[in-house]
Amino acid sequence: MIYLDCAATSLQKPRAVAQAVTHAMQTMSSPGRGAYPAAMLASDTVYSCREALAELLHVPEPESIVFTMNATHALNIAIGSLVRPGDRVVVSGYEHNAVMRPLYLRGARITVAQSPLFSPAEAVEAFRRALPGAQAAVCTHVSNVFGYVLPIGRISTLCRKFGVPLIVDASQSAGVLPVNFAESGAAFMAMPGHKGLLGPQGTGVLLCAEPGEPLLAGGTGSLSEQEQMPEWLPDRHEAGTHNTAGIAGLLEGVRYLNRRGVERVAAQERRLLRQLTSALEGTPGLELFVSPDAQLQTGVLSLRSAGHDCERVAQALGEAGIAVRAGLHCAPLAHRSAHTLETGTVRLSVSPFNRPDEIGTAAACLKEILKNL
Amino acid sequence: MLNYLIACRSLTYAQRAARTLERNGITAAVIRMPRELSEASCAYAVRVSERKLAAAQQALLAANVPFGAIHPDRSKGGRA
Repeated sequence: MIYLDCAATSLQKPRAVAQAVTHAMQTMSSPGRGAYPAAMLASDTVYSCREALAELLHVPEPESIVFTMNATHALNIAIGSLVRPGDRVVVSGYEHNAVMRPLYLRGARITVAQSPLFSPAEAVEAFRRALPGAQAAVCTHVSNVFGYVLPIGRISTLCRKFGVPLIVDASQSAGVLPVNFAESGAAFMAMPGHKGLLGPQGTGVLLCAEPGEPLLAGGTGSLSEQEQMPEWLPDRHEAGTHNTAGIAGLLEGVRYLNRRGVERVAAQERRLLRQLTSALEGTPGLELFVSPDAQLQTGVLSLRSAGHDCERVAQALGEAGIAVRAGLHCAPLAHRSAHTLETGTVRLSVSPFNRPDEIGTAAACLKEILKNL
Repeated sequence: MLNYLIACRSLTYAQRAARTLERNGITAAVIRMPRELSEASCAYAVRVSERKLAAAQQALLAANVPFGAIHPDRSKGGRA
């Protein structure tokens, strides 16, 4: 199988990830629940993961890093902390349902800072118009559909100017692009462990610049006589038993990224994207969503073909051993912004473990399918 | 030699304190705080030797690692 669905979940990971998961299941109990060796080993592993993430994402204090089940869980904590019913919240035109549905659930009044695909200056202007008077803003760093890198730094600067707290959805950028939480100015930054960070499913991370409000309440192994959740991080958001095995695997994924360097990962993914687009350009009827500026796109390519249902194309690719995703990718707002809502797209997304020969094979296979479907 | 317990508000803070001390060449162990020494239940502390106590406090202050009360560890294992 040629795996090109890394924007959903990275399947190929460093070997140490699965080994660490198995080792943790065999040797570790729960952090913060005892002073015996198996509990302390679990505690050390979880804390080591906070330190490794702090190094990768430039988080000054490791305790500001909260482990969650996934990015959706992290976004729900962040949104629940900042948004009250009736609050006006500004979002980009490229948000995932992991942002939009929690906002609807909270009864937020949503203002979409609408802007065209791969047009960062227009995105900034849209936020500039929408932010005054808003209670919060949420912006994805990278679109999960198009790999479009939004100008998160300039948007964050605007948010500070207008006194609007910002939540950054780093689901598609963590481990894929350099991310600096300390400089971002964000109140919260959410990400999964199982995509670019190369950890197992069931892991997520929330970076917090403020304590926020708990989404879940329960045991934390601290202040047990108190009826309320602790005021401090990370305990405030980590009720219940940790996914120690998952976090042990995530630690190895993050260590790999710290050793290799995210800049090198980004450069490699962009090389693979260029190879893919070059191979597909000129195919009759095929529309590729590619930025003219390579720095504005990660290793995610959406495409559609006139007269071909994107689900049928993805199905045919899957039957040929090439794993991709088709449809709306849980991000109808992004498709509305790019005028692809009616058709959806086929999405091919690479990882640092893909090889150029795989990209060549996938491109040739896709062209063949479009000829014969 | 007597050991001392430096109280920390949670396990994560105790780990941060212990790693900060280790990076400064000070041997430190994370332990659960004895109930008799803690106002809050389920608290944690780092244990350091009396000889390193002053250096440990300095290192934690320099690294902005918050810590609480300091108690002599009078348990059997508290004496090196």
